[in-house]
Amino acid sequence: MDDFRERAALSRRAFGSLALWAMIAAAAPLAAQTSGEPVYIGVSGPVTGPHAQYGAQWKQGFDLALEKINADGGIDGRPLDYIFEDSQNDPRQTIAIAQKFIADQKIAVEVGDFSSTSSMAASPLYQRGRLVQFGFTNSHPDFTKTGDYMWSNNVPQSEEQPLVARHVVEDLGMKKIALLYLNSDWGKTSKDLFAEAATGLGAEIVAEEAYLGDEKDFRATLVRAREAAPDGFVLVSYYNDAALIVRQIRDLGIDLPIYAAGANSPEFVSLAGEAGNGVHTVMNFAPMSPRPVVQDFVAAFEAEYGTAPSHFSAMAYDTFNLLAAAMRQYGTGREDIKDGLGKISGLESVIFPEVAFDPGTRRISSPAVTELVVQDGGYLPYSGPGQ
Amino acid sequence: MSDAILTATGITRRFGGITAVDGVDLHVAEGEFLSVIGPNGAGKTTLFNLISGQDRMDGGKVTLEGRDITNLSPHKMAEIGVARTFQHGRVFGNLTVMDNVLIGCHVRLKAARSRVPVIGPVLELGKALIQPRAVREEEEAMREEARAIIATFGERLAPRIDNPTYSLSYANRRRVEIARALALHPRILILDEPTAGMNESETAEMQEIIAGLKASGRTILLIEHKLNMVMQLSDRVMAMDDGKVISHGTPTEVRNDPKVIEAYLGHSSIGGARPAARDSAEPQEIITVGPAQGRIGRTGGAEA
Amino acid sequence: MESLSSLMAMPWLDYSISGLVIGSIYALMAVGLALIFGVANLINFAHGAVFTVGAYIGWTCLVGIGLPLGVTIVVVAAVSGAAGALIEWLAIRPLNRQSRIAPLLATIGVALVLDQIIHIVFSPTPRALSANIPDWRLQIGNGTIGAIDITIALTAILSAAALYAFLFRTKLGMAVRATAQDDDAAKQMGVNINAVNMTVFGIAGALGGIAGLLVGLYYNSIDPNASFQMMLKGMVAIVIGGMANVPGAIGGGLILGLIESWGIGLFGASYRNLFAFVVLLVMLLFRPNGIFSRGKERPAEPMTGTFVTQTKAVTLPKPLIWVLIGIAVILPMANMPYITQVMTNAYLYGLAALALTLVSGTVGLVSIGHAALVAIGAYASALLTTKGLPVSLGIVIGGAAAALLGTALAYPAFRLRGHYVAIGTLALGEIVSLVILNWEGVTNGALGVFAIPPLEIFGFPLYGTKASYWFVLALMLLMAGLQVRLLKSHLGRTWKAIREDTVAAETYGVASNYYKGLAFGFAGFTAGIAGAVTAHQWSFINYDSFNLLFSVLILTMAILGGLGNVSGAILGAILVAALPEMFRTLAEYRMLFYGAALIILIRFRPQGLLGSG
Repeated sequence: MDDFRERAALSRRAFGSLALWAMIAAAAPLAAQTSGEPVYIGVSGPVTGPHAQYGAQWKQGFDLALEKINADGGIDGRPLDYIFEDSQNDPRQTIAIAQKFIADQKIAVEVGDFSSTSSMAASPLYQRGRLVQFGFTNSHPDFTKTGDYMWSNNVPQSEEQPLVARHVVEDLGMKKIALLYLNSDWGKTSKDLFAEAATGLGAEIVAEEAYLGDEKDFRATLVRAREAAPDGFVLVSYYNDAALIVRQIRDLGIDLPIYAAGANSPEFVSLAGEAGNGVHTVMNFAPMSPRPVVQDFVAAFEAEYGTAPSHFSAMAYDTFNLLAAAMRQYGTGREDIKDGLGKISGLESVIFPEVAFDPGTRRISSPAVTELVVQDGGYLPYSGPGQ
Repeated sequence: MSDAILTATGITRRFGGITAVDGVDLHVAEGEFLSVIGPNGAGKTTLFNLISGQDRMDGGKVTLEGRDITNLSPHKMAEIGVARTFQHGRVFGNLTVMDNVLIGCHVRLKAARSRVPVIGPVLELGKALIQPRAVREEEEAMREEARAIIATFGERLAPRIDNPTYSLSYANRRRVEIARALALHPRILILDEPTAGMNESETAEMQEIIAGLKASGRTILLIEHKLNMVMQLSDRVMAMDDGKVISHGTPTEVRNDPKVIEAYLGHSSIGGARPAARDSAEPQEIITVGPAQGRIGRTGGAEA
Repeated sequence: MESLSSLMAMPWLDYSISGLVIGSIYALMAVGLALIFGVANLINFAHGAVFTVGAYIGWTCLVGIGLPLGVTIVVVAAVSGAAGALIEWLAIRPLNRQSRIAPLLATIGVALVLDQIIHIVFSPTPRALSANIPDWRLQIGNGTIGAIDITIALTAILSAAALYAFLFRTKLGMAVRATAQDDDAAKQMGVNINAVNMTVFGIAGALGGIAGLLVGLYYNSIDPNASFQMMLKGMVAIVIGGMANVPGAIGGGLILGLIESWGIGLFGASYRNLFAFVVLLVMLLFRPNGIFSRGKERPAEPMTGTFVTQTKAVTLPKPLIWVLIGIAVILPMANMPYITQVMTNAYLYGLAALALTLVSGTVGLVSIGHAALVAIGAYASALLTTKGLPVSLGIVIGGAAAALLGTALAYPAFRLRGHYVAIGTLALGEIVSLVILNWEGVTNGALGVFAIPPLEIFGFPLYGTKASYWFVLALMLLMAGLQVRLLKSHLGRTWKAIREDTVAAETYGVASNYYKGLAFGFAGFTAGIAGAVTAHQWSFINYDSFNLLFSVLILTMAILGGLGNVSGAILGAILVAALPEMFRTLAEYRMLFYGAALIILIRFRPQGLLGSG
């Protein structure tokens, strides 16, 4: 079975190198050759099950990153590759995968899993097994607290939410905010941090409504929120919930400004339809950013897959580039990577203008956000009130 | 009446608009054999259900040895010594013959069960796990007794003692039911058509067993359609129709009572084996197809 | 907490409108469920999957091909009607002679298969579904309702009216009602039962599919994961309206919508499903015939409402058991931590399956809320040990908490029978999960419990892969051994007697509720320690760690091995937990595998691999 897996990995690499050759032939005749035993990253994530769409988006980012990294000579001449184990985002499976990766000496570093429930169940194993667990989607505030082998480049909400609050309160002028949030670890944490920051800026949270993950009907909740006489709505939601809520806000005839966290996904725009127009959001990853790193990524992504990259693909792309940089600089041993991540600095990525970890929290500090507004099936940069 | 072990007065049960049992009085003396006869739908089984606690009466009173047992729950009825068999036979199909009879011994388990409040459940589980000597000895004694009871049914049951009862013939399952009832050491034994669905030789065998029970001095209440058997076994006979007692006395008196003959002729012929027939006053037969409610399907069913 | 005047000042009209809008969606689901219940006496768990099929066929027609809405509705009705008829043919008809619970489990299997096919064909990403529907809105109170809201409500009411006319005015309708009452008698009267059943499933399927399309249009969003919740709401609606009462289903749906909406107005949206499931339980216990019925009696259930078929269990020879235990003990010596971990997981599943097989197999209370017991054990131990209690003590207390709390919660459900137990326990499972989510002060709410201390016994650490493997193996074998001992005692036969015929058991002095309680207590302890050990192994749990899918998986294991069979439960757990791990590369089809296995098993070996015990 392991053989089968390896064959699958090999054939993917073969396919990747085919694409690579095509790219080299077209654009980079001087690209370096890679040879020898590849350096492996172990990925634990959902390929099937209810969260499979995220795993698929990860893969796109990973594959694109590998093409670039290996075209640049890999890791000191050795190709970089990954082994993707399907966890279905189920903690029972992530711990089994953790055992597999820890025992497999080929694996230099682990990436994933998707949710905090499944990632954090495996954390004690990675910590004791002394293999870095790099959780790039894990926003749970306790994720990196299990031990010094847990790292994350997920934007810490403690840094992002104050920026969002400033935008909402100062730019959009909301002073009496109705807050709807997904009752999950991410939603709850973000909501608390946002409320704290917004209150600090002089705004008032007049309504605070938690909702369940599989909720579809928000009319009653919105009636309740409207009773508090807010002057704007803030939604701490994923894109599908955000689209449903935005539509139902407009169906109820409420014409107040809306800020929605999940509106930064291209899917939001199609699900929300007309109602999405004028909804505000921010993005860590801004496809229209003029930075060359971003523009190269967006162009390569669109050329490869024919669609605009999602936030998750961008994060996946960033993660592999970041790990590759750490390995190139500090070595491919498991301990080297763990120590290296703490030392990395000055690296420019798609999401962060400058990547540096706080060695205490093992998270990235000082993210930047781009403020956007949804308009006619796309995004416009926010350009002041009256828009 | 003064020597009556079981007395029931004014027993009444209504289902919707139908009064299935209408003010019936009944008494049985120690060691007496009382049979209840009547056409289909007369309310016999409902009456027995009320006396043995399967159904709750709307009016009336039942006493056993002077103690009021009106509307006690079935398992309390069993505890004080009322045992019954069912019209259609209700053995525990996946249990062996032995285990079926041992369930009859359930109320007599002293060591294995626990009546201590609050920690009782933990004690009962604990004793079942540890199997202390007293529990083991009690279990062995019960098994010994169960084997003895089963042996009274001769070669019919004894060789099949460890077989699940679903594999038994219909007649054998009825035998198991009676064995199970006997294991309870009942003060009064209620038999609801014990020979229903049996052929002639099986009926004769069953009649012999029941005669043996009578000879051993048991107090027995019987519903039966086979009038020959009723006439031969009963000390007294009670005839019911439309929920009321229409005749009462010695077997001969009742048989010759014109009201009884009329009741049977008015409905159908007297007697005869009716394996699959049901008393139409039984609640599971009440089906509402109410256009007013738009309901499709079954309702009712106190026995189910 | 709120004064009367502020209560009066709440916008009740707006809440009521909101309630009626969502309520008419529930009603649309409920009509089909009620129809099927009326004829087949069965809760069709696959109805939600048909709803999804309708939504995706609708998407294919409207967005994929670009057909007009009218044609789309016809295609959706045809395809989902066919899907409904297929369910009847595949999962219901062959089980005609099985116990009542068999078709219910088969519909769960069909639901898994259909959902998974949609996943694979259309991907799990939600899609937008829009059509050219007139864009006018009607102002009512402070809100508006649109054309699609009215279409949904009208479809629900008209379809109920049409069904009513069909049932009471046409010849086939009479056949349907006759079949509903007594299929044997109907057969003797020359009614073709199979044709009737297939017709009914077809009609219900078409309705379910149209519901999926309309709801998808309403939200402009379709999502393969939404159907189960929708089906559950429809189920609550028919329990409110009276299980087999078609017009009552409309009332039930609207009432459920109103209750949820008013409840949200008073307490907030996070409690929505809690209201729904509490209403479900209250109705099952106090008005099992629905609020529109005058009678109080519970609908008649078959006398043997169990899944246990009349067959002999396979008894594994003792030497074989010892050899297998020996292999299990030396397995970690192979130094394959991955395999060791997979088997540790399997044994934890095994503990939970042992508990379930006792309750559902031996006593006959089929439970689809088993995860609740595991979750209670996990949370009890996690919360206490993070506050300093030693882990070994925490595990025992976790078991005890699950035993006591689980039994107390399930006690009211003991008087339910057959699939009412299944529905009731499903509701209980959801309630426990939602209480964990909402009771922030104790459970830490959505953030879950973090930094749970690792496994150790009296200070001796057990968190190494091998040590925890042996510990869990020993625990499972211990509990299995104890269970076998219990089954050999008077409790074993008493429990089985309750399962076989509760009325007869009561007549012979068995206080059935007390003995059901004993079984639940022991099973709760086993499930609770399984949860507690899991919590210490993971170090992090939240309200979703033990969800409905987990309950269904455990039930699959118990059925696979043979309900009530101790070695069967362990075998089932190992197969269900370990085999998919072995065939990881087929993972995309894993749930398909579960669903298909469930259907095939119920069809061809209803007694499970080792037979019912």
